[in-house]
Amino acid sequence: PEETVTSSFASFIHAVRPEHLSEIVCHRSKRMILDSIGVGLVGSTTHVFDIALKYCLLYSSVAVSNVYGKPGVKLSPTLAAFTNGVATHSMDFDDTWHPATHPSGAVLPALLAASQMLPPNSKPNGLDFLLAFNVGLEVQGRLMHFSTEAHNIPKRFHPPSVVGTMGSAAATAKLLSLSMAQCTHALGIAASLAGAPMANAATQAKPLHIGNATRLGLEAALLAARGMEANPFILDDISGCSGFSAFYSIYQPKPLSTPNEHHEFLLEKQDIAFKRFPAHLGMHWVVDAALSVRNLFINYAGSFSPSLIRTIVLKIPVSKYINRPFPNSEHQARHSFQFNACTALLDGEVGLSSFTESSIHRQELRELLHKVVVEHPEDNVANFDKMYGEVALLLKSGDVLTGKCDTFYGHWRKPLSRESLLKKFRSNASHVLPEEKVETIITMVDNLENLSDSSQL
Amino acid sequence: FLPQTITGNFANVIHGLNTNHLTDLIIQRSKRMILDTLGVGLLGTSTEVCQKVKQYSKIYSSDISSTIWGHLDFRLPPLYAAFVNGVAVHSMDFDDTWHPATHPSGAVLPAVIALSEAFPQKKKISGLDLLLAFNVGIEVQGRLLHFSSEARNIPKRFHPPTVVGTMGSAAACAKLLALNQMECKNTLAIAASYAGAPLANAATQTKPLHIGNAAKHGLEAACLASQGLQGNNQILDMESGIGAFYTDYNPQTLPTLQSYPWLLDRQDVAIKRFPAHLGTHWVADAASSVRRKLVKNSDNLLLLDKIEKVIVKVPEVKYVNRPSPNSEHEARHSFQFVACSALLDGSMSVHSFTSDNIQRPALQELLCKTQLQHPSDNKPSFESLYCEVTVLLRDGSTISHRCDTFYGHWRKPLTKEDLEKKFQSNASKVLPAEAIEGIIETVYNLEKVEDCSVLSMFLSGQSARVLPEKLHL
Repeated sequence: PEETVTSSFASFIHAVRPEHLSEIVCHRSKRMILDSIGVGLVGSTTHVFDIALKYCLLYSSVAVSNVYGKPGVKLSPTLAAFTNGVATHSMDFDDTWHPATHPSGAVLPALLAASQMLPPNSKPNGLDFLLAFNVGLEVQGRLMHFSTEAHNIPKRFHPPSVVGTMGSAAATAKLLSLSMAQCTHALGIAASLAGAPMANAATQAKPLHIGNATRLGLEAALLAARGMEANPFILDDISGCSGFSAFYSIYQPKPLSTPNEHHEFLLEKQDIAFKRFPAHLGMHWVVDAALSVRNLFINYAGSFSPSLIRTIVLKIPVSKYINRPFPNSEHQARHSFQFNACTALLDGEVGLSSFTESSIHRQELRELLHKVVVEHPEDNVANFDKMYGEVALLLKSGDVLTGKCDTFYGHWRKPLSRESLLKKFRSNASHVLPEEKVETIITMVDNLENLSDSSQL
Repeated sequence: FLPQTITGNFANVIHGLNTNHLTDLIIQRSKRMILDTLGVGLLGTSTEVCQKVKQYSKIYSSDISSTIWGHLDFRLPPLYAAFVNGVAVHSMDFDDTWHPATHPSGAVLPAVIALSEAFPQKKKISGLDLLLAFNVGIEVQGRLLHFSSEARNIPKRFHPPTVVGTMGSAAACAKLLALNQMECKNTLAIAASYAGAPLANAATQTKPLHIGNAAKHGLEAACLASQGLQGNNQILDMESGIGAFYTDYNPQTLPTLQSYPWLLDRQDVAIKRFPAHLGTHWVADAASSVRRKLVKNSDNLLLLDKIEKVIVKVPEVKYVNRPSPNSEHEARHSFQFVACSALLDGSMSVHSFTSDNIQRPALQELLCKTQLQHPSDNKPSFESLYCEVTVLLRDGSTISHRCDTFYGHWRKPLTKEDLEKKFQSNASKVLPAEAIEGIIETVYNLEKVEDCSVLSMFLSGQSARVLPEKLHL
């Protein structure tokens, strides 16, 4: 039978084995799992999470799956995935990849929910779990390589809602050990559930993109498992009738090689960025740049004195949805170069508390925001691999101090150290869990490949 | 106050429309749509795709529940009831079609009926409330379709019910829930993030899920908005909002509420006479006419071996061009199949698509002799397309017929009798006669019904001895 792109994907999902996971891939993906859980746990304290949970509780009858941070609560698997996905992305604190998407949040909640669905005698072990997780990542990465559009920060469709749904479907299909035909149909059904417009980024609805990606991908796999059929050429180029290509204007699909002895996972070549504070990834460059110029300023003037500053110049790439001079809500603030730069300048750091209502509306911050001017140098491309952030303080005295950041700490070129990653996790998780639970999770994820029953997670 | 954005304007209208705005023509047309949709949905509950989604959805039973059409034995939470019933409606591609192209009722009706049964404070919803909400859902879909010239033609990229249908369902549910203006705006914003499925799943078993999901997700968006969830309040204005689904996008504000001009007033829907893609209805009428002429010339016998070639002139629509379909889903999306089927049998029906009929040797033989042609004046738009079927006989003679407007199209609507006949035929597969009569009565008098839960009761198969009281006629 001719090899179509779609069937190559289904083959891969179906045939890949734990042995194919390299050490680097295991290591990196475990870091991602830990970070994602932590981010989800702290996310369970947000308002958007409350709304999602209240909604889902209406349907709680066959409730077998747990919800981050809520020990007594159980929901049906897809709704648990939905809620946990919303939690993960609620503060824009979750990981980011290149080409751009938030990979883990779209996959992990579905797998956690699905593993609780399975009967006690056929629970997947930690290694199966890790493999399924990586299948979910790999499929997302491969799909993004089908379009050059995907290399830059998105404009039309929010990537997690496009590739994330597919990744979740693939991962769940793997965990449930679906046949090759079923894997194909899971992808096809998922495509009909994919795709949300960018406009809801920087609003309270954005976390739903990840929540729905993980939930609907799970749903697609569950439907495929029950025999639902879709278009078996969904990933291929079908002229006159769009499949997955509907989401892109340029689309060049390529088949995945079937894994024999060695499959090179994309995660091997391209690591992930972890965020140090809960805001859009682009903010991390300007914050690091702002922190370095702040140090210069303190050396120069003895302390941080805003009154000495005439203008603050931000040199950033062009991206409308993260260029907000005066954000009004936490969601907008997380998507504002200006806000994050000024917060870093004022406070010397950006963290969870930077985005509270009172922090956002502070007088000193507003004053500083008024001094900001934005520039878009031609060489600053809207691309997470190539962009930079530069902050220049034009002082009333005439002096100019500059800070520039090419690679922030947490970016894949300068990954967080184990200590930093654990610190982030502990800080997040302790918002809702007691210390011993926090440590238990760390140990479990560390030894994931040796865990006999991954639903314990 | 004057809303500054189109999104705000839509929210204003959804919020501000009330039952006084419904004109007589609107009421009449929408009740026909409701009846047809119910019949189609009831029939659809027996399909394979519907069995699968019922099985799937059963994992979510809870105490708040809504009726699954045709079932007394179990109920589902409103979200999944909307989903399952929506799938049923589109399962055979038997539901209504509008211009610009979409399947408007299936995305809206299952959602509003499911919601009406599950009201938070057990509030009574009247037939008129239901009718209004339904029309809000239809209107919003139509208005959105007018924002892009792409929408005028048969689609190529995104399946329209998944784009505008989700928005329509959301608007209808927001109306039924009596959300305030801000909540209506947020409903639209949240719904947009659920919208959009690629066309490639048309002609597969997954296509019915497009309508099921449109209904379900629109309902979910309204519920989330009523819980306070917020989205982008310029979702209809921005290119990166609903504009993301179109290459050319020009949103417009809606007319003022004063004597509101509904689109359904100006543009009726097409109701299908057999369960297949709308484009095939022109083909069926043309082919049936050719057959009549053929048998007249030869003592009422269709002599297949005398046929050399069958030429079918249609617009270019790739996903309905299937020379040899293998499944019922493919057959419903095949110009060639319907042409040959109609030639052989004289007319099309629900039974034309069974696998026995699909595989018959006579049909397969005729398919081999069939080819499509795409004249340049035949545009792929349900408003202007035509079909010409020509049969070339071995003796050199040809018999042709051209169909410009099939019976059931908005230019030639089904009579009341034929609409009812279609409903009866469909509903009788799963409901007892009394329930069928009950639905017809209730829908015909919908604007006078005080408590529309009687409709759901009939839909589940219960017959009511309390009929007169409930209807308060």
